[in-house]
This record gives sequence, structure tokens and C-alpha cells, in this order.
Amino acid sequence: MLSIRNIVKQYAAHTALNNVSLEVEQGKIFGLLGPNGAGKTSLIRIITQITAPDSGEVLFNGEKLSTHHISQIGYLPEERGLYKKMEIGEQVLYLAKLKGLSTAEATKRIKYWFEKLEMGSWWNKKVEDLSKGMQQKVQFVATVLHQPELIILDEPFSGFDPVNADIIKNEILELNKQGATFIFSTHRMESVEELCDHIAIIHKSKKILDGTAQEIKQKYRNNTYQIEYSGDFDFANLAPSFDLLHQEKNKEFNSAKIQLKENQSVNQLLGILLPHVNISRLDEVIPSMNDIFIDQIKQQN
Amino acid sequence: MTFLLTKLNNKTKTMNKILLIIQREYLSRVKKKSFIVMTLVTPLLIAAVYGLIGYLSYEGMNSNTDTIAVVSENKHLTEQLLDTKKIKFNYVNGSFEQTKKDLAKADFDYILFLPDFELGNPKDIQLVGSKQPSLALNNKVEAAVEKLIRNEKLKKSGISNSELTKLETSINIDTKKITEKGTEEDSSAGASTIIGSISGILMFMFIMLYGIQVMRGVIEEKTNRIIEVIISSVKPFQLMMGKIFGIALVGLTQFLLWIVLTITISGAAVSLFSNGKGLKENMVKQQMSTLNNPEVQKDIKKMQENTFSKIEKSVANLNLTKISIVFVFFFLGGYLFYSALYAAIGSAVDNETETQQFMMPVMMPLMLGYVLSLSVVNSDPYGNIAFWLSIIPFTSPIAMMVRMPYGVPDWQLALSMVLLIVGFLGTVWMASRIYRVGILMYGKKVTFKEMFKWFSYKN
Repeated sequence: MLSIRNIVKQYAAHTALNNVSLEVEQGKIFGLLGPNGAGKTSLIRIITQITAPDSGEVLFNGEKLSTHHISQIGYLPEERGLYKKMEIGEQVLYLAKLKGLSTAEATKRIKYWFEKLEMGSWWNKKVEDLSKGMQQKVQFVATVLHQPELIILDEPFSGFDPVNADIIKNEILELNKQGATFIFSTHRMESVEELCDHIAIIHKSKKILDGTAQEIKQKYRNNTYQIEYSGDFDFANLAPSFDLLHQEKNKEFNSAKIQLKENQSVNQLLGILLPHVNISRLDEVIPSMNDIFIDQIKQQN
Repeated sequence: MTFLLTKLNNKTKTMNKILLIIQREYLSRVKKKSFIVMTLVTPLLIAAVYGLIGYLSYEGMNSNTDTIAVVSENKHLTEQLLDTKKIKFNYVNGSFEQTKKDLAKADFDYILFLPDFELGNPKDIQLVGSKQPSLALNNKVEAAVEKLIRNEKLKKSGISNSELTKLETSINIDTKKITEKGTEEDSSAGASTIIGSISGILMFMFIMLYGIQVMRGVIEEKTNRIIEVIISSVKPFQLMMGKIFGIALVGLTQFLLWIVLTITISGAAVSLFSNGKGLKENMVKQQMSTLNNPEVQKDIKKMQENTFSKIEKSVANLNLTKISIVFVFFFLGGYLFYSALYAAIGSAVDNETETQQFMMPVMMPLMLGYVLSLSVVNSDPYGNIAFWLSIIPFTSPIAMMVRMPYGVPDWQLALSMVLLIVGFLGTVWMASRIYRVGILMYGKKVTFKEMFKWFSYKN
């Protein structure tokens, strides 16, 4: 639904985005990752039409991005806040009307969301009277109120306590089920793992990784298996077909981490082990997003 | 056709958004307690200040009559000194030395000693008192004595008393100005100065007060971090313009309320006073009776009538409608011109303490316009400096208002207005280019050099 093609953005002496292309598919949750200053916010600001690229283009549902798409995009920036002296209800109403909703429609939807997120009594409160987590909830509501097709969340969970973070996460999943597409920018890899279908990493203004969560994990498997067993076996005998990466001996069971060399399979490994030990568990060690992220960034440096 | 329709549709949407912003900026300020308090208290303060001025001048008029004991040893002076408005002459018998001794306990303030001099050579006249006589008093007494001696001399040369009275003239110059149409109009430098100065001061206040409000509003949105949420819905330019116009309406509302309330309060106060009219008349009568010289009475009456009717007449001739329209134009024009610059400053900083270095270049022309308008323009409203100050947009709102009551040729007025509009479009364009970059810069100390760079940024 969103095609980002060869975007270049330059600020005076500094290049924020260098020929970045991305495809965001309809109904997916897209994770946009990268260290601080990589260019994520610059890219998001181009999608939200806060700034324009120097070259390249963005297509929204096949159309060139233009002002009438603003009402179809919801954006929760990383640097976010509310008017301190304004009442909550009035404030959300104002933001919704800026997106083009009528007063009646906006009021109805705000009431629905306030009810849903247990904010019913907040309408006449001022921002000053709310905790940071409560403010975040208000901002989330303001972001999704106009039922945008594309919702961009920049570090949505910062400032939330675990309970509220979970509430918001569930709302994201529900909206996603109803068809909303998400772009999700964060440093918190565990939430990426939980939510994202597709991932791209931007580093030093270039895209360095792009693919579905599945693909990436497939790509970064390195044939490593964790085995729990009882009995005695000298894993050194496995060489050179298998590498022992780590071994641990306990009273109840022992465990070992083994990497398969090329052209070797788990079956072969089991064939060697079975006569000697009692295997209680065997897992493939799949690298976490966190590992992949750190690994990728390190490689680039 | 459909393309045109969507374009039109987009235009109305844009307008609606600006209106929404204006509405929020306006309501959120007008609803504030500080706004309501300021709006109500200021007219009371103005009324109080006027009351105080009135009271003080009334007091001053009454208490400032000096009584002077006159000791005359002169045999050539046949007449006595006549009382004037502020001075009462009491001839006393007894020597100068004796009177000086009585000074402490007597009911006069000063002693005037007229020794026995020849009329052709008046000398050794003394004015003594327990207090140092003021220069003004000294001048008045000198004038009175000079007149006395002159009359004495005239009499000596054979002019009778009645002829002397006939010679007395009291004149008042009517200042008139020939208008472009060739007709004569009464004018009053006094009224022009007052009206011009007041409009100039109001203009300066309005630009300062509300320009800074625009700046504060921009900083507030930045520090609140709501700015990025808003500009994902509207263009920074729309937000800036909405804010500027919204606050302009706040300013107009406040000034309108001030004017209405001040007039109401002053009206109430005046009617309260005129209920005690008896008191006022009493006071006048009392004053009259102390000045029992018929000639002085006539003088005073004439003078009073003259000044009052004159100011009234010239105010009527000043074409207040035109001045008001021009005032509102320059009021808004000047505010818009400067508020755009204030918005740019607000966007470039993170908090108000950082604004100082940028405020200077904006404040300078404004202050300069203010100071020069009240001095140079007021003293020479048709001069070169006055002309240029009232043409250049940086100073024209203030300078033109000060010049207006003296009369400004229409072509100059038109030129100044056009330049102000051009200037306003220029500052808005400039400010919007800085603003759109500045509002997204957090936690960075910005320099002029950097601001200049933002200028050339593409969208």
C-alpha cells in the first residue's frame, strides 16, 4: 500500500536518507528499525508529508503522495505532547477536526475510545492533571481516531507501564485485524518480535536489511541446536563434522549447544548421539531480533 | 472538471483548517483568567489614573495662589499692582525691614519691595520669602511691575486712564491649515499631538504585547511537543498563519473591550462628578470672588472659552473616521509584519530565555520607530525624517499614526499602506521558511548563520 522509492534527503552537509526504498504491504505491521540518528524519523516525516524528499517518490495505494492522503494517515511521533492548559476532550476533538472529522462524528468516536480504554472521566481534565502514561493513552486515541488506513507509531511504548503497554499492544493488533497497516519504529526488539510481520533496518541513512520477519530469521539461522540430555558423552568426538559451542553439566541433566557444519543434518547428529545418551530435548537456536540487529549494525561499522 | 472540483475542495479544506486553528488560538486565550482579569482591570486603572490627574490639577489650581505683600516706598507709582490669576498683591504699610520680621507669622508668602527709584531707572526691586521664589513666579512679578511702570510712563506723557484701558488687548492665535482642496481648516497642534501620540503608543503596545504572545505560543507548542502531531495534519504555514490571526483577534477583542469599558467607566465617573456640579460652580465662584478685578475675570472667561472651543473644533476637523480606519489598518498591518518575525524567533528556540539574541534585531526598529515618532515626527511632522519613517514598513505603523492628525497627503498614505502589505508578505514568507525548519529542531542552540541556512532548505 505504501511504496517508498529511491528517497534521498539531504540537510546542508548531512545526508539523512540515501536512496532508500521500501514496500509496505496492506494490512501488515512493518518494523522500521535502526540506531539513533539513522534516518528513521526523516523517513517518517517524509511519509507524513511534514517534509518532502530531495528526490525519489512515495506512492500511497499507487497514487503519488499528496495532501488528501493526510486524513488517511495517523502519526504518533516520538517527540509528542499535548497542550498543557487545554481540556482533554476538547483537545482530542481539535486534533480530530484538523484531520477532517466533523464535530459530531469526532465526539462520538472519542466517547467510544474513552469508554474502551477506561478514560471515561477524563473529558474535562487538563493535561497537567494526568500522569505521563495517561497522556500517552490520550495521544494514542488521537492518532487512531480518524480511522486511518496507515498508522505510524514512533516508539509507541516509551513511557507506558507494562499494564498499559499491553492494553495498547492489543489495540494495535485489533486495529491491524480490522485492516489497518502499521509502520512501527522502535528500539525495543521484544515488541518487534511480537508484533512485526516485516522488518527493515536503516543505518547511517541507508537501508541495510529488509524482509519479512520469517525470511530474516531463516536467513540468520546458523544451524545451531541446543540439546538437553542425560548420560555421559565426550562431544569432542564429534569434530570435525560438528562444533561444540557450549556445554553445561548439572545434576539432573546436561546441555550442549552444537553447530552443524555444512552438509550435516540434525538426523546425523542424533544418529551419533542416540547410542550414548538419553535426549530429553532438542531445539534449534534461532537468533533473536536483538541479536540480528546488533550483529547487522556491528557488521556495518 | 473533477480535477478542478477536488482542487476547490482541497482549498476549502485548507481554509477550514486555518479557521479551526484561529478558533482554538482565540478561544484558548480569551477563556484564560489572566485575559479576563487584564481586560477588566486595565480600564479601571486608566480611569483611576485620569481621576488622579484630574484631582491633582484641581488641587494645583487652588493651592497655587501666592500672596505677596507689597512694600512700596516709591512716590512715582500712583497705581497699585493688580491681582492676577495666581498672584494676590497685598499692599502693606510699614517698613521693608519690619515686614521682613513679620514674614514668619504673617499670612503672605513673599514680600515685594519697591524702593523709591526713578521711572527711567528702576532698580533694587526685591522679592523675598521664606521659600525661594520660583522662576515662573519671578517672571510673573517682573511682568506685573514692568506693566505698572510702563502705564505710569504713558500717563506721564498724557494718555488718560480710559485710553489706557482701550489699549488693552488680549489675543489668541487661531492656527489654520490650508487643505489640499484649498479650504481652510481649524487645526490645533495640541490636539494633533495628543491624538498622534496616543495612537503611536497604542500601536507600539499592541505590536509588542501580541507579537510576543505569538512567539510564546510557538515556543509553547515546541516545548509541549505537540507541534509534530499538528503539522502531520496541517502545513506549518497554515499553523503559523492561524496562530497569528487568532492572536490578532484576541488583541482586537481586548482593545475593543478596553475602549468600551474605559468609556463606560469614565462616563459613569463624569456623571457622578457632574451630580456634584454645585460643588464645581461653587469652586469657580469662589475663585472669581477672589479675583474681584473685572478685567481679570473677563480675561479668564475668554481664555477658557477659547481654548475649549478651539480643541473641540479642531478635533471635529481631524476627520476621526479616516484616522480610525487608518489606525485599524496600521494596527493590523504593523502587528502582522512583526508577529511573523516573532513567530520565526519562537520557532528557532527551545525556551524563552534563549530568545534574547534574536529579539534585539526585531525590537530595535520598533523602539527606534517609537522614540523617533514621539520626538522628531511630533516636532516636524512634514519633514524628511517623518516622511521616511512613515513610509518604511519597520517604523511606518507608529510614525504614520503620529503623523496622521497633522494631515498626510493621500499618496503618501497609499504608498505607506502598499509598502506595509508588501513588507508583511515579505516577513511572512521569510518567517515561514525559518519556522518550518525551526519547529522540528529540539535541543539545539541556533545561531543566525544556521537560521540563514534553513532559508535555503527545500521543503
